[in-house]
Amino acid sequence: MSNEIMSELRKDLIYNLMIKGEREDGRKFDEYREIKIDTNVIEKAEGSARVQLGDTHVVVGVKIQTGTPFPDTPDKGVIMTNLELLPLASPMFESGPPREDAVELARVVDRGIRESESIDLSKLCITPGEKVWMVFIDVHVLDDGGNIMDAASLGAIAALMTAKLPAKRFDVGEDTPLPMRDVPVAVTAVEIGGTIMLDPSLNEQRIAGAKLTVISNQDGGISGMQKSGVNPLTTEQINYIVDAAIEKAKELRVKFLEI
Amino acid sequence: MAKPEKLIENGIRLDGRKPDELRPIKIKVGVLNRADGSCYFEFGANKVIAAVYGPREVHPRHMQKSTSAVVRYKYNMASFSVEDRKRPGPDRRSIEVSKVSREALEPVIFQEYFPRSAIDIFVEVLQADAGTRTAGINAASIALADAGIPMKSLVSACAVGKVDDTLVLDLNKDEDNYGQADMPVAMTPDGKITLLQMDGHLSSDEFKEGLEMAKKGCLAIAQLQRAALLEKYSSQIVGESNE
Amino acid sequence: MKMEKKIVIPGDFLSDDVKLADEGTYIEDGKVFSSVFGIVSLNKQIKVVPLSGKYMPKRDDIVIGVVTEVSFSNWIVDIRSPYEGLLHISEFPRRIDNAEMSKYLNVADSIMALVSDVDESMKVELTLNDQRLRQIKDGRVIEVTPSKVPRLIGKNGSMISMLKNETGCNIFIAQNGRVWLTGKDKNMDLAIRTIQKIENESHISGLTERIIKFLKEEKGIPEKKQVKKTEEDKSGGILDELLDK
Repeated sequence: MSNEIMSELRKDLIYNLMIKGEREDGRKFDEYREIKIDTNVIEKAEGSARVQLGDTHVVVGVKIQTGTPFPDTPDKGVIMTNLELLPLASPMFESGPPREDAVELARVVDRGIRESESIDLSKLCITPGEKVWMVFIDVHVLDDGGNIMDAASLGAIAALMTAKLPAKRFDVGEDTPLPMRDVPVAVTAVEIGGTIMLDPSLNEQRIAGAKLTVISNQDGGISGMQKSGVNPLTTEQINYIVDAAIEKAKELRVKFLEI
Repeated sequence: MAKPEKLIENGIRLDGRKPDELRPIKIKVGVLNRADGSCYFEFGANKVIAAVYGPREVHPRHMQKSTSAVVRYKYNMASFSVEDRKRPGPDRRSIEVSKVSREALEPVIFQEYFPRSAIDIFVEVLQADAGTRTAGINAASIALADAGIPMKSLVSACAVGKVDDTLVLDLNKDEDNYGQADMPVAMTPDGKITLLQMDGHLSSDEFKEGLEMAKKGCLAIAQLQRAALLEKYSSQIVGESNE
Repeated sequence: MKMEKKIVIPGDFLSDDVKLADEGTYIEDGKVFSSVFGIVSLNKQIKVVPLSGKYMPKRDDIVIGVVTEVSFSNWIVDIRSPYEGLLHISEFPRRIDNAEMSKYLNVADSIMALVSDVDESMKVELTLNDQRLRQIKDGRVIEVTPSKVPRLIGKNGSMISMLKNETGCNIFIAQNGRVWLTGKDKNMDLAIRTIQKIENESHISGLTERIIKFLKEEKGIPEKKQVKKTEEDKSGGILDELLDK
């Protein structure tokens, strides 16, 4: 839609602050904005969470239903992650088929959940070859204040951690919590003029040369990575970000997911 | 749930309401940062959020009108808003709801003040329990005011239905599923009707009575919409200026 | 002068006297109603000042814009409105060739321009041909709600003069709700915080006193200096102006 152009003046401001070791909103380079997570906000869904990360606001709904498994994994449940960059959230988002950013965000969030094996898919099997649980994770972005990735990933995990398998409704037993065995947390960093900053604000995201998301597990292992943006990153920068991300993920896990 | 035997017993509905009672409403104005105006609206178990962008440049350009703004309304239901997960994207129902909702609001907007521009209204249903289109219109009215869009007045909406041969105000999901008629209505505070749809069967007398019931409901909602807008700023207003 | 500050919503009844109807109102059936969500001011005319809303360009307004495109003979400028501004090459203060345009003014550059004309289809023409106007190459530009610009300027410029004096910054407020500040970083920070406070509380009475108090607190002026300043101002007239409101 409207091509929002950031003035040179504003870019200069961000660069000048960065040289002094400061950010527009007064944060340190490795500091996150204020985070608020509420769960069970959509009672009718099997799991849900609302995340406010600075000015970014997302709602995640988890719907769980029975279905037929994929033929090559007859005894495993199915997870599907979708993300909508709703036109509500920004003058830059249009309605229509998902843009590449929405698809990328959804796939990276999904990868974090899947590769960490945070959900043991074999525990989602009801009758092998016939009936399994299908877990749909839908992220709805309501307000884009930058770093949707981390907000979406926190929301997805919080929603999954409080989700229930609706066994009663589908006549397959009693309701039980969705079995989760890890808590992957995404941490995103951007590179601006050679400096690495975590949890980019909207303006920082827009002028960043490169962006790197690292998803790590409780044991400090990495279960997903994604670099985006047109600038290259050096090995040093990448290693720095990976270490910072694992540290920060531990902090976020304790503070907000109480793990 | 399987069809209950009775939807009304001794004048009390399944959820404890009397026939002319609205479900509880909760409203919060200006909940989004990027949108020019916004409103979060709960109507019973319905949870909707409305955002307004505008007036702003029209894209694609060829859609612009030379002497007035073009008003666009997009109603969308989140996949997780309903019992059985819904596939993302518009379906025929949401296209119809978008159209009638836009037509419910257009008559009050001073579109001619903004030639060659667009006023975009987005309504997202986060949780549905019958009456999402009326919740959407109520939220959208507030969001338009919050965005500073000049209007003749707000628009208020609610639905009337018939269950067990009794007219009731503001159907919930079960009443909608198992009832005999569903009639959403939107109107301005001075009584002009801007939305009217009916699904089911009503006698001509029932219709007239139902419409009066809907009008009363809409007026009650108009009071709440007004209070919600004033509340955004009222906590600080001290009274007359001493300057 | 006592002014009533009441908040109204679209459709609220204001008066039976249609002769008094001014901005932010409409007339129907011989009565005046509010057309926006805003504050009623019942001076000589009945006006409703909206609490939010976009900037609508008017001839002779000074605006701060950002160049979004360089076309063959026009710079296209974002003036924070549903309507873009067009700066024709002939309205640049120097004679330059079409090919040189981006050399002088390029995409993302900020300018302070004058709205020279607006036609009925809202085609907005800008000019830089005036000594008040210029390119903005330093300092900071922040945004406020356009309808609050008069409050920020104050009666006879009293609010903005006070801000400039108390913070030692140069501050220019454009009609389209963009504010340009220059000065020392610390002073600009204080000015910006103060402007944000004015924006958030513009609808609450007693604003001027609160702002004066805020500035004094933020600057941490000890007692002695405060007294001295008042004496100076008595001869200068700023506080007098404000207190006379």
